[in-house]
Amino acid sequence: MSNVTAARRPFTWNAVLWSLVYPQRVHRVVPTIPGVVLVSLSIGIGLAAYNSSSNILFLTLSLLLASLVLSGVLSWLNLKRVSWRVVVPSVLRVGHDAMVGLHVRNRKTFLPTYGLRFTFFARSRRPDAEQRPESTLTARGEAVRAALARAAAGEIRGQVALPGRLEPQSVVQLDWVFRPTRRGCVRLELASVGSMFPFGFLRKDVGITDATDVVVWPATIDYQRLNRHRATRQNGDQRVARAGSGSDLFAVRPYQPGDSHRLIHWKASARTRQLLVRQFADETASGYHVWLEADRARWPREEQFELLVSLAATLCEDLFRAGRLLSVSIGAGAEIPVRRVHDLETVLNRLAVLEPTANDPAATRNGGGLGNVLRFAPDGSRGVVALVNGERLVSA
Amino acid sequence: MISRSGETLRGGPRPQLTVDELHQVRWFLGGMLTLIGVASALYIDAEAWWLVGLVVVTSLATTFFPALPARVPRLVQVLAFPLMAASFAADLWLRSELLPAMVRLDLMLLLYRALLYRQRRDDLQVIVLGLFLIVVAGVLSVSLTFAVQILAYTACALLFLLVLTLVETTPTPGTAIGAGTSAVPPWAARVQWPRLLRRVLAVAEWRVAALGVGLFLGVVAITALLFLVIPRFQLDNGMFLDRFITKKARTGFSDSIKFGDVSEIQQDNGVALHVDVSDPTQIPTAPYWRMLVLDLYEKGTFRISPALRVQRFATPRTGSIVYGNGRSRRDDTRWVVYLEAGVSRYLPLLGPYRQIRFAEAQTYQSGKDMALVALTNDPVTMTAYQVDSFDLSSGVRDLPGAFYGEETSARSLTADERQILRRVATDAAGAEPLSAAEFASRVGAWLRERHRYSLKPEIPAGGGDPLVRWADSRGAGHCELFAGSFVLLARVAGHRARVVTGFRGGSWNGFSNSFTIHNSDAHAWAEIFDRGSGVWLRADPLELPATAQTEKNATAGAGARRLDRSWAARLDSLRVFWYRRVVSFDEQAQAQTLKIVKELAQSSTQRLRERFSRGLTVLRTWIAQPLDGRKVLALLGAMTVAAGLTWGWRRLRGGLSRWRRGEGDRDDPTRQEAGRWLRRLQNGRGAEEPCPAVVPDLQRLRFGPRQTWPEPKLVFQEARRALKDQRRSRTSLARA
Repeated sequence: MSNVTAARRPFTWNAVLWSLVYPQRVHRVVPTIPGVVLVSLSIGIGLAAYNSSSNILFLTLSLLLASLVLSGVLSWLNLKRVSWRVVVPSVLRVGHDAMVGLHVRNRKTFLPTYGLRFTFFARSRRPDAEQRPESTLTARGEAVRAALARAAAGEIRGQVALPGRLEPQSVVQLDWVFRPTRRGCVRLELASVGSMFPFGFLRKDVGITDATDVVVWPATIDYQRLNRHRATRQNGDQRVARAGSGSDLFAVRPYQPGDSHRLIHWKASARTRQLLVRQFADETASGYHVWLEADRARWPREEQFELLVSLAATLCEDLFRAGRLLSVSIGAGAEIPVRRVHDLETVLNRLAVLEPTANDPAATRNGGGLGNVLRFAPDGSRGVVALVNGERLVSA
Repeated sequence: MISRSGETLRGGPRPQLTVDELHQVRWFLGGMLTLIGVASALYIDAEAWWLVGLVVVTSLATTFFPALPARVPRLVQVLAFPLMAASFAADLWLRSELLPAMVRLDLMLLLYRALLYRQRRDDLQVIVLGLFLIVVAGVLSVSLTFAVQILAYTACALLFLLVLTLVETTPTPGTAIGAGTSAVPPWAARVQWPRLLRRVLAVAEWRVAALGVGLFLGVVAITALLFLVIPRFQLDNGMFLDRFITKKARTGFSDSIKFGDVSEIQQDNGVALHVDVSDPTQIPTAPYWRMLVLDLYEKGTFRISPALRVQRFATPRTGSIVYGNGRSRRDDTRWVVYLEAGVSRYLPLLGPYRQIRFAEAQTYQSGKDMALVALTNDPVTMTAYQVDSFDLSSGVRDLPGAFYGEETSARSLTADERQILRRVATDAAGAEPLSAAEFASRVGAWLRERHRYSLKPEIPAGGGDPLVRWADSRGAGHCELFAGSFVLLARVAGHRARVVTGFRGGSWNGFSNSFTIHNSDAHAWAEIFDRGSGVWLRADPLELPATAQTEKNATAGAGARRLDRSWAARLDSLRVFWYRRVVSFDEQAQAQTLKIVKELAQSSTQRLRERFSRGLTVLRTWIAQPLDGRKVLALLGAMTVAAGLTWGWRRLRGGLSRWRRGEGDRDDPTRQEAGRWLRRLQNGRGAEEPCPAVVPDLQRLRFGPRQTWPEPKLVFQEARRALKDQRRSRTSLARA
């Protein structure tokens, strides 16, 4: 929760006077066109006043300066006791609209608040890499501009305005809707709260330091099913750890309305003094092990690699929905058994930040032992194909 | 929590103005700004009356009928700027006056902006154009009206900018301002001003409005403070705007006076000059403010003869100080005169002076011997000057020389007319030679006896000189006829005499503690040279002249007799304050004011400290005394007072807190509406009828905390239904 009034410093007159003439560290005050006109008018009238010793002009100059003071006071009153809270969605996905909520609260007793403008940024960033400033002392102009252009390309900027008036002691919800364009880690930042209230002389921006890192899952894509493959059942050595309709007891869980009474585990219920029902293991083991090899030698083209990740994510979701996803191996990482939604989310989170690796030693390690392994290979220079036991299953 | 963006999750039900309504308010305020700005053009001699009238009419029409600009042909928009530029260039070339041309261009631009729909930048242009007019008018007129106008303009402009900001931050669902298009924008299609006023009143919250008024008063206070502390230093560059406009006098006190000119000035009750006197007891009983000395009489007109002008007035000089012939005295009285614009370029003076100091450098001609000073140009603004002591005792001592004799008055008179004058002079003063004082006394009395004072003179019809005809008649006349006749009669009798014009009298303003002379105090009188003393004696046929000694002694009561405490005097006192504290505020005054403020603060602090230490000493002494009955009573009383104060303070603090939270705010429109419905339902309910179900909800809206309110709109709809049911049941009962 961000609050402009949260940081309280010990009161001193010096601090008050200094804060009146010099913006705080994260604050920015920029004159608008009317502001520039007013300042120019003040300078012109001031020069004329000194040139002519006319008290009429001195009076006009004083009035213009007093208007600037009034503008500052009203702007301060407008932002006083206004707080806001950003509600970030839990799931972001490339190509899907994401809604970032903003609850703005005016805690003033009788003064409304007008004309606030909230600026959001969504910046792509590497999750593990430290964001460090790069020295530009020796850089050339083109290099700096190119770096800035790259940074600008990797960010989405949005503004949300407070419509009309926010009454005292009231809360309003604003939504910023944006569509992520790249997977990966995104830093959602409420960059500033600005206002030109009351007279539009100055645009005051209060800088905010709150930011939230969110993972953007790969896009869901359309793929072409090439062959109707049936996953074969393995003999004995495959244990399916997923609830289903088999005969082996898998687990007990609390009773839920609608559960059959025949499934109630009476002994366990008696011991725990709450109704528990039995869950049986799934008998079908005809699932797939998804194995994604992300070595750069195999995927030299960036677009193709992105397509690979999107296809893998889409297939994982589809297989999970069909109850046929057993595990996922990504590069040299450990195999992730997928039993619950949480496991799938873990996979998608890993896919979201997946980068091509130098080589993939897991290729030899994971090559044998598992049946129904779904692997991926380049399909021409742009496409990606998913293979099961060397058989083309789907392509994108 | 999922909700529509911008939806208020929790808050008050006060309505908001729509974008169209905000545009209507913006349009109205823009029109008002134009009108205020244009009104100031009336004070500038820019010869643009027709343009001012056109802008006013157009602005009024388009402001109150915003659909009109849509009917302006596209051709006007295309040709407007080239035409204005050409007009400005031609104006400048033909008249060679920059400032009036700029004022006219400004008016044309305002007219153009009033004729068409405005975008934001056009609105800003209107503000700047209006401000230009007001500032120029203020600088040129130095009038108190400037203060009123600039304050009204500032309030209006700030409100205007506020509305512009609100318009920008309010979502605009397909609503365009309409600038540059010929179609009527939605907001201008059908404006109902009374409805808009009601909406604005409904939207306004009185505490916010009160705060707005308070903040604007704060702006005024800060302006005054800044005006006081802005460092001043004199560059001596003079009024730069004055150079760009031709100055014109607007009154009758010029080098020549026809009969009736002074009387015409008397018809005007406006203020001519204010005088601040360091010692009010020095003001004479009948102060005569001399401005002009007229020696030559020709064809019914008194004027300054060219010879007198050349010989008695020095060559023009530029400076801040004029030295006179007045003798220096120990008890120097300082007279600060604020001469209103358009009175004359001749400065009103009581007599010989020691020195005159102008607020800023002036170009002037000094007639030192005659105790007259003339500025080279007619001032178009108020002119302030300080006179360091008038020498009221010695009189004017310039030797008459060849002037003021019969030869300067008899050129246009025929021999018969001269004969008539000699006869009249003999009738009035007798045939034997008299001293100047005696002659003045007798002729003055004779003129008063034969003629009645009237602003409507009765000059006998016929040929020849009108003054001679009047002197020989018994008709009524004004001061110029009295003074002129006296001068002609004195001259034919062998005395040197002259007509003097200026002001006589005045009143003491009890509010500003200053002496005020109005144009209605304009007067003409005569001066006659006394060869014995070498002094010019004042000879006013309309009043017996008092001696200088008598005047001095009578001054103590003079001010009280002329004390003016009317409403006009209150207004005049504001003007004097404006002249004293604003227009004439200079480095010296600034230093003095700051010094006074500093001394006041120091002395107040000192007094407070002394009082505190005295009180502490008294308290210690009292405590040190042994306890007795009185002391116990006093202690009990003090404790009671302290408890009462604490209780009162807690009550007050609680009340303030509730007020700030908006609880118990009976002026809330929703609470008022609920109260009205409760009254209606109560009045409409019979004794046996059950209480409507909606009443608890209404009571909650009327008296309950805001957080517990039900939806007011639904409750009022339910109340309306309940009231209809009540009426229906009563009607059916009555029919039954």
